[in-house]
Amino acid sequence: MSSSSYLTEGIHPPARTAHRLSVLAVCMVWPLIWVGGLVTTYDAGMAVPDWPGTYGYNLFLYPLDTWVLGPFDLFIEHGHRLLGAFVGLVAILIVIASLRHEPRSWVRALSVGLLLMVICQGLLGGMRVVLSDRTLAMVHGCVGPAFFSLCVAVSVITSRLWWRSLDGNILSIKLAKSHLFLAGVIFALSYTQILLGAKVRHVLPDALAAHFTLTVAMHITVGMLLWLLSVCAFVGFRRCGDLTLFRPVFALLLSVTLQMTLGIGTWVVNYGWPGILGTSFIRSIPGAAEYLIHAKGFWDSVIVTAHVAVGSLILAISTMLALRVIRTRHLLNQSTTTKSLPEAENAIVSASKAFS
Amino acid sequence: MRQAESDVADVMRALFGTPSEPAWPLEILPDIDLVNLESLRRAAGSVSSEKDGTHLGLFREHCVVCHGISGDGQGPASQFQLPYPRDFRAGVFKWKLTERSEKPRREDLRNVLIRGLPGTGMPSFSLLPGEDIDALVDYVIYLAVRGEVERRLLMGSVSVMGYGGEPLPAEERLVYKGDRDDAEIIVDTVQRVVQQWESAQDTVNAQAKTLSGPEDLDTSSSVERGRKWFHSKTANCVGCHGAEGDGGIETLDYDDWTKEYTTKLGISPEDQVALQPFRDLGAHKPRPILPRKLRGGTLRGGNDPERLFHLINHGIAGTPMPGVAIVEEGDGRGLSEDQVWDLVSFLRSLNGSE
Repeated sequence: MSSSSYLTEGIHPPARTAHRLSVLAVCMVWPLIWVGGLVTTYDAGMAVPDWPGTYGYNLFLYPLDTWVLGPFDLFIEHGHRLLGAFVGLVAILIVIASLRHEPRSWVRALSVGLLLMVICQGLLGGMRVVLSDRTLAMVHGCVGPAFFSLCVAVSVITSRLWWRSLDGNILSIKLAKSHLFLAGVIFALSYTQILLGAKVRHVLPDALAAHFTLTVAMHITVGMLLWLLSVCAFVGFRRCGDLTLFRPVFALLLSVTLQMTLGIGTWVVNYGWPGILGTSFIRSIPGAAEYLIHAKGFWDSVIVTAHVAVGSLILAISTMLALRVIRTRHLLNQSTTTKSLPEAENAIVSASKAFS
Repeated sequence: MRQAESDVADVMRALFGTPSEPAWPLEILPDIDLVNLESLRRAAGSVSSEKDGTHLGLFREHCVVCHGISGDGQGPASQFQLPYPRDFRAGVFKWKLTERSEKPRREDLRNVLIRGLPGTGMPSFSLLPGEDIDALVDYVIYLAVRGEVERRLLMGSVSVMGYGGEPLPAEERLVYKGDRDDAEIIVDTVQRVVQQWESAQDTVNAQAKTLSGPEDLDTSSSVERGRKWFHSKTANCVGCHGAEGDGGIETLDYDDWTKEYTTKLGISPEDQVALQPFRDLGAHKPRPILPRKLRGGTLRGGNDPERLFHLINHGIAGTPMPGVAIVEEGDGRGLSEDQVWDLVSFLRSLNGSE
């Protein structure tokens, strides 16, 4: 199995700054999702009633001691806003770096899209506060992971791996259409899960019990399907001959397994063991019949928030996997048509050198 | 029927506001301070928090997903719960230190909120500030009073006023106005319900305080005597809880909340077709009630001796669990106080909490 290290040796992608910044964005957005999840878990979304300022202050000028030493709700909500603002600044830098060094117009457009998306996300968060609208909170919660996925996409397509050339190592990779299909379905299901999860988490007080039950049933079904597909992907990609594809699949399987455990934990710490499992079954689980939920418990909150964050992580991994499969398939397709290093690839590399 | 619902809803809005914007009919109840209006404001409406960290919209934050906006026990997540989330509107609560037919005290509701109910979806809110719990207690009482008045008026409007058939003319419809007879009926209904709550707060505290276990509580001799009463015909605990307190005995009975639209209307709880109209309106599917597993299980009402004594004596409201009469000397009609304490010792030994 080949790995990325020697495949990408000597390759210098044109927009390295944009790539580094996009990696920075990825590293910032995941904690941002954690903090955002914590805001919802603690029902702290309305801890700061005004927007874009914080209790009349400019966002960046809110007194540090009042923030850090104030109530926990204020601490996490203001922290969420600050971190979001810094991610916005990084998105601006990504656009600047892309416009200066990136030869591919679609990537430049994508970086602009990234900036627009973070602006929209900020506006959604603001509108949620100003209008005190729980539905907008759900939309905000769905756009966050999508933005995270886009950050990952930009970092993947600006990486050295993307620019690797067609050589013997790539030609030895066995990647069928089914791999592409599998990666695409996993990506789609990952985001579907986030939408369903958001609907469960942000359930409206007047929602019908039947609708909520249906949403939960779908969430569980899609989750199990995703786990099965992750196992299929693990088997399918194990022999594909490319570690840069197998590693994300392995991480995906681990994450989805962890996520299912967290999902059960999230339900139990929120609602207890579901009665529909039957009394005998519940009594057979050690401690389940006596389990007592603690509202706002620390570890309970960590479990719930981790379920949110790992959901986004799964989407990020599936984004990376899908893009890498698409790219590798593209290179392999070229090899079957040209039987040698494609001229088009050479042209792109030369153009990028000239551009930088 | 829709006309009755609509008219009663108008009356309820005039008297109690809405669950999102609650009001208290001070003009009818000038001397009764059962609930704190500021607490109602804090507990109602959308979730938000103030600069000092005070949370508003507490009921929606902590309770609404199971208990529903009006406290009807049919919140979005209710179908997953066993037992069902409590429907406050019936005004019946299980875990209390008042007599079976009485309303609970504020302290009883507070105790459930703090202690939680192990093995159910009802959490312990012990990590919440005390004032948040007090506000929730006020709001639960408000919803219970509001719901019970609403249901009584609905029943009265159908059975007495003739709603349910042809639409009634304006002059015959239920309206809350000072110069009409309807107003008297409405005022009387509100006062009756509130008076029940009010009297529960006043009369039971003394009784609850005087309960205290004997010196030999939890001793092996007391446990052995308790085992005997457990199996006796008088208490007949084994009939439902099993010889060793393992539960699992099949019963054909249901709780009072689902009986309302089944046996009380002459409908079998298993008659799915007859139940369908009620189910379509969101009613829970009746489930046979399960006797508690006492040995090694969780006593949801708590396992402190005084509380157990009270539950044995008064039974559990809303369930088939009967009370055992306390008599001077155990004579087959009931158990003596000492015998009940022995039973308490035995229950605590089964539960491992002695």
